[in-house]
Order: sequence, then C-alpha cells, then structure tokens
Amino acid sequence: MSKRILIALSFVALTAFAEGDTQWILQQSTLTYHVSHPLHQTEGVSHAAKGKGVCHAGQCEFLIAVPVKSFDSGDSNRDLHMIQVTRGAEFPLVTVRTRLPESDAAASTINADLEIQFAGQTAHYKQVPFKVEKQGGETHITGTIPATLSDFKIDPPSLLTMPVKNDVPVRVDMTWRPQ
Amino acid sequence: MLKNWICRGSSAIPSVLTFWLLVQFAPFLMAQAASTGVLRGSVTDTSGRAVADAVVTAANINTQQTQKVTTGADGAYRFELPPGNYRVNFEAPGFKPIEIPSVTVGGTEATVLDGKLEVDQEVKGNPASIQQDNLPNAPSSSSTAPSLSDLGISPEQTQGNAREQALLDKRTHMLKIHQRMGLITTIPLIATVAISFNAGGKNTSSASRDLHAALGGLTGDLYGITAYYAIRAPRVPGTKKRGPIKFHEAMAWIHGPGMILTPILGIMAFDQKNKGEKVHGIASAHNPVAIVTAGAFGAALLSVSVKF
Repeated sequence: MSKRILIALSFVALTAFAEGDTQWILQQSTLTYHVSHPLHQTEGVSHAAKGKGVCHAGQCEFLIAVPVKSFDSGDSNRDLHMIQVTRGAEFPLVTVRTRLPESDAAASTINADLEIQFAGQTAHYKQVPFKVEKQGGETHITGTIPATLSDFKIDPPSLLTMPVKNDVPVRVDMTWRPQ
Repeated sequence: MLKNWICRGSSAIPSVLTFWLLVQFAPFLMAQAASTGVLRGSVTDTSGRAVADAVVTAANINTQQTQKVTTGADGAYRFELPPGNYRVNFEAPGFKPIEIPSVTVGGTEATVLDGKLEVDQEVKGNPASIQQDNLPNAPSSSSTAPSLSDLGISPEQTQGNAREQALLDKRTHMLKIHQRMGLITTIPLIATVAISFNAGGKNTSSASRDLHAALGGLTGDLYGITAYYAIRAPRVPGTKKRGPIKFHEAMAWIHGPGMILTPILGIMAFDQKNKGEKVHGIASAHNPVAIVTAGAFGAALLSVSVKF
C-alpha cells in the first residue's frame, strides 16, 4: 500500500516539475551583420547579446537584446556611421522576441517567428529557420535573419556617394543553456 | 595687354574659379542642411511610463501626405519629414487616441513632441497586456515573458541620447560633404599633375604655366574646403580609432602640409620661369613635393574606398 502511495506521489511530483517554469539563459553569442557595397563587403560582429527564455505550459518566450554600439566592423569610422544611420544613440538596443513550443528544444531545426525592434521600428520575420544542435547540456542555435534596411526605415549608408545594398542579413550563432 | 593682365592676374584665376564653383555648389551644400526636418519625442501614459508600439501618424496639412512610425520599447519615436505643418496623432491599444492639430517641423532643429495617453476606460483590461496580445509573437502572458530588466539591462541603458544622435548626425553630414568635395578635388588635382609636364620643361609656354597654376590654385582651394569639413566634423567622445581611417588620417599629415608647400614653391618656380630663368634653389622642390602630396592624397582616398 505504501509503495503505491509512493509511486503516486512521485508521479504527482514529476507532473508538477514538468509543468513548472523552466528558463533558458543565453550563454554566448555571435551576431554578424553583412553589408554589401560596390567597393566593399563588410561584416560587423557583436558578442554582447543578452538573452533569456521562460517556458510555461509548453510555450517558451524568448527575449534577446544587443546594444547597437557593440557591433564592430573593424573600422571605427564605419561603426559610427552605422550607429548614426540606424539611430543607435536614440534607440540603443536591438531586441528580438519570439515564442516557441517547448518541444522545439529537441528538434534539429526550428522555424521561429521573430519580432525585432531596431532603430525605432518593429519588424516581423515569419518562419525563420534555425539549426539546433545539442552539445552536452547546451543548445547551439545557428541561422540567418533576412533583415533589410527598409524593414526598419533606415536610409542606406553610402560611401563615395554609392549606397550599400538594402539586404543586411544577420548571422546568428547562439549557445543557450537551461537553468 | 590681355596677355599681361592674364600673366599678372594668373594668381586671381583660381580664386575666380573657386568662387564660381562655390556659387555652383552653394545650393547643393545648403540643400544638404535644409531638405528634411526631424519630429521626435516619446509616448507615455499618465503615470509617465513609456508606451511601446504606439502608432504615431504625421500628416502634412498642405500635401496630406502621411507617415507612420511605431514607438520603441522606450516609447520613443522619430520622423524625418520635409519642413512644414503637420497634424500628429498618437494611438495605442487600450488608450484614448490624441490628436495635435498642427505642429511645425523646421529644417534646422528637431521638433520635439511628446504624447501622453490616457487609459481608455471603455476598454477592459490592462493596456499593457492588450498591446502585447496584438503582437504576432507576443508572449502568451506578460507574467512569463522575460523583460529587459530580467537580462540585467537597466532603464538607463535603454534610454536614447538625443544629443549624441544630433552629434552623430552632424558628423555624418559634414563627412559626407568632405567625401564629395574630396572626390571633386581629385579632378583638378589629376589635371594639374597631367598638365605639369607641359608647364615645367625646357620648351614650355606661359599659357601652359598659367593653366597649370590656375588648376593648381583651384585644387588648393577645393582641398581647403575638403579639409575644413573633415577637421570641423565633431568628434564622438570615447571612440577609439580603428581600421583604415587611421591610415587615412595619417596621410593627411603628408598631403596637408604638402598642399600648403606645393603652391608656395610653385609660385617661386612660376616667377623664375617667367623671368626666363631655369627653376633653381628651393623652388626646384615644387615637382617632387607636389608628386608626394598627390600620392598621399590618392592613398588617403583609396584607403577608405577599397578594402585591401
């Protein structure tokens, strides 16, 4: 009899644990934007993103934020120009929000709907594919966000009167760990 | 007589040409400064809390052209508009919309207009959660969605700095003119160097020398304008210089003094030639100094144009 009670209690405890909130913390990240100019191919890299995911009732809400000023293209003049055109002093953060089913953590690819706030504008990207790899207790996510300057009403920066292309894809490489 | 006037007045030719060029470019330079105005501000509720995703609409009263922007997480918004009078509306789910009938946007200074929204009592529920539900990827419940403070980001870090943005805007504006003027300067610079072969040899005519001097003077004047916009462009505090801009600026320490020295030596050489003398003394350095100057100018231009 006591065995049955123990099993029943264990089941209740496990169920309660499964339904409880779990959290994900962004451990490390590399975000890289790519800019095409007739004379240059430029990349700006940031490792300064912070992120958190909270899972509740099978759904996980993620928020990632990265300072605009943290992107480094290897040229301080270009970086200042990018901060200016993206209104980086007025809107110092890029934020990305998404909601994913908790079960996606076990998948090898996920398609995320992203809401990105940048340069005082909000843009939505539907079904952006990301590759998911499990490495020990960590989850490694890679993919590319097909961002464009016009999505955020940014005038293309120019060099020698020639503007850059509208497409500014952002490569995402993130490592998350559950907390 | 005309020839004498040209000879005596050859030093005036560059100034005349420069004046003509300035007249030509003045509207362009002024248009750079006055073609658009800025309307910006923030949207808050009555308690002063920022309202994100509020829609701000600016309609030009004369042309009826309308633009919309959405406020960011900090409630801030910004328009770049042609100067004029605008009717501005602020709307956000759960709040009463407000309309400002007329706001004047100028071409020089940013117009700041803040919107304070009152909660619409007819809409049940918390305005914040109503806003969230309208977003396609919005968290299912505001209690579980992580916030910026959960990431360790303080409210100060999310605050925009309008003064710094204005500084960056001015810097970019001046450097754009610097770039364009630098490109324009290249044309008479190349022409001056090309014509120098007919100006300094044994069998040269005074006309070739005059043309060389005129183009050299024009180059010097345009260079001065180019340099002015680089020197006067505001510096951004706390920025450490990295990359090709360091080489670009290092070259300025060569072509800058060179652009002063070259015409001085050129005038000396010009006078000696006009007297029928062979160019001698320090004036004979005009040619090599000019070549080094032009080379440094070209290298400076290439360093920011082509990725090596």
